[in-house]
Amino acid sequence: MENSPLAIGTFPRAILHIDGDAFFASCEQSRNPALKGKPVVTGKERGIAASMSYEAKARGVARGMRIFEIKKICPEDIILPSDYETYSLLSKRFFSIVRRYTPDVEEYSIDECFADLTGLQRPLRMSYAQIAEQIKRDLDLELGFTFSIGLAPTKVVAKIGSKWKKPSGLTVIPGKDIHLYLAKLPVEKVWGIGHQTTALLNKYGIRTALDFARKSKEWIEKKMIKPFKEIWEELNGRSVLAVDTKEKESYQSIQKVKTFTPPSNDERFIFAQLSKNIENACIKARRYRQAARGAVIFLRTQDFRDSGLETRFSRATAFPNEVIKIIEPAFKELFKRNRQYRSTGVILLNLENQENSQMDLFGSHLIVEKMTRLYEGVDKIKEKYGKHTLFLGSSFSAHRFSGHEGDRGIAPARKAALFKGETKRKRLAIPMFLGEVN
Amino acid sequence: MEKQESFNKFKRFYQDNKRMPSYAELADLLGYKSRNSAYKLIKHFIANGFIAKDTAGKIIPSNLFYSTKVLGTVEAGFPSPAEEELSDTMNLDEYLIGNKEATYMLKVRGDSMIGAGIMEGDMVLVERRSNAKEGEIVLAEVDGQWTMKYLRKKGGKAFLEAANERYKPIVAKETLNIAAVVIAVIRKY
Repeated sequence: MENSPLAIGTFPRAILHIDGDAFFASCEQSRNPALKGKPVVTGKERGIAASMSYEAKARGVARGMRIFEIKKICPEDIILPSDYETYSLLSKRFFSIVRRYTPDVEEYSIDECFADLTGLQRPLRMSYAQIAEQIKRDLDLELGFTFSIGLAPTKVVAKIGSKWKKPSGLTVIPGKDIHLYLAKLPVEKVWGIGHQTTALLNKYGIRTALDFARKSKEWIEKKMIKPFKEIWEELNGRSVLAVDTKEKESYQSIQKVKTFTPPSNDERFIFAQLSKNIENACIKARRYRQAARGAVIFLRTQDFRDSGLETRFSRATAFPNEVIKIIEPAFKELFKRNRQYRSTGVILLNLENQENSQMDLFGSHLIVEKMTRLYEGVDKIKEKYGKHTLFLGSSFSAHRFSGHEGDRGIAPARKAALFKGETKRKRLAIPMFLGEVN
Repeated sequence: MEKQESFNKFKRFYQDNKRMPSYAELADLLGYKSRNSAYKLIKHFIANGFIAKDTAGKIIPSNLFYSTKVLGTVEAGFPSPAEEELSDTMNLDEYLIGNKEATYMLKVRGDSMIGAGIMEGDMVLVERRSNAKEGEIVLAEVDGQWTMKYLRKKGGKAFLEAANERYKPIVAKETLNIAAVVIAVIRKY
């Protein structure tokens, strides 16, 4: 029983999970040989490590670590500002390369995707493992850094596979071998199982992913809610989570957070920062034709303490002037004169599609119509002349400087290396090699 | 051919009136005696995907509707070949770039490739490839820097050669680390 397989057969479905190794740091190393083999950290502009190269990980740098701490434990670290433009370009290329082999690709995040290869052995005249190998070869060669891949009959097991050997691993887990991989894997390492569930499972004596997978169907039905039943099915080699190839068309919430340096306790400046975030969140909501029913605003102090407040709206809106008016009292309540703040943020909640949003009882119909026309104009101007050509007066002091003073204000190197004809606002959509060229 | 002409008339009706014709109007337009013939033609167009029906059962343009070319709108009565011929042209991106996912650009520094017509400040497009051939201009990593040179071979050993006499050939101690091959040089004035 202990050693019996969870599933018979090999690949009733063939799912890949592909994960870029230290993606942002690797994007930087692959375009500048001066960074190869060196500890590289990105996220300078945020003051915390967003991504670090394996050399930096080996020296104890972890994600989310603050930059000044990193400088202490690893002074030779090369700390770079994030260049999201380049990372996004390379991310798109990553997905296009995988799509050469299958149209069923789920862009899970900027550096991860799932791909469904089921049924492709014959048309491609390769085994699933060979297709995975070929995809890995293309990615490693054409993007200039390595990827890790897991191949399995389900998404949950494929994700275990891509983490199994990192960096640059390819782990093939056929159905009949799943139990071998789950035996030593702590249950909290399984995709979708968090702290709380782990604590609950531990109470029932479940420590490893295999303990969980071996539970009977009756037990699972009685004790677990749907998402965990699905994980249990998937661990047993039965694919229930489909590779979702739909593009994101709407959001449930939209969050905008921005850090600034040096920290400040200037009330007007902090409010302007918040106001700018609200404007940006509303732009995104309008782009997806959505409107929010409420919002959370929060302030973060220099010593990383957060305080926030939630407000509800009488009708759904995506107009920043309305949101700002509503949250102003909440801001006044949150803001403490004797604190130094480092960032502000807003989350628009309960987004609904604008077509079916209802008017409130007090007949604000006319105002909404007027505002809709106004913001259609605003959005057109922004599209033509740039995102920040028009903004509310309340955001003014946040627009006056880039957000960071001193060395954190440094823009990514790509933005300084412009070609003739490129501008601060528009550059060619081709990643650029950097460093000395002789 | 006859059907193509009918479709052109159909399409022109849509362009002129900004709506689809009714069966009666279509019969009139094509000189059919009955509405049933118009109905049959519509069925044929739908079957071929030129038009579609919406949920209310009304006919609407499909994607093909727009891509099907209306030839012969020139007043002289001759079909204009210009539009058809344009399908055999490409834009500058397609011309310059072969494998889009593997193409990168860089800015040239220095004059080591001046003899090959590559000058300081030029934009160079390179492609990450697994193999580079002798005589190609390649981008290699040497001592933590990019270097752009001709790839040469002598006695089975590869080395890098500048297009400028003032630079000595570069012979790698172990292996040459070639990252990409130059595919185009662009200079904007």
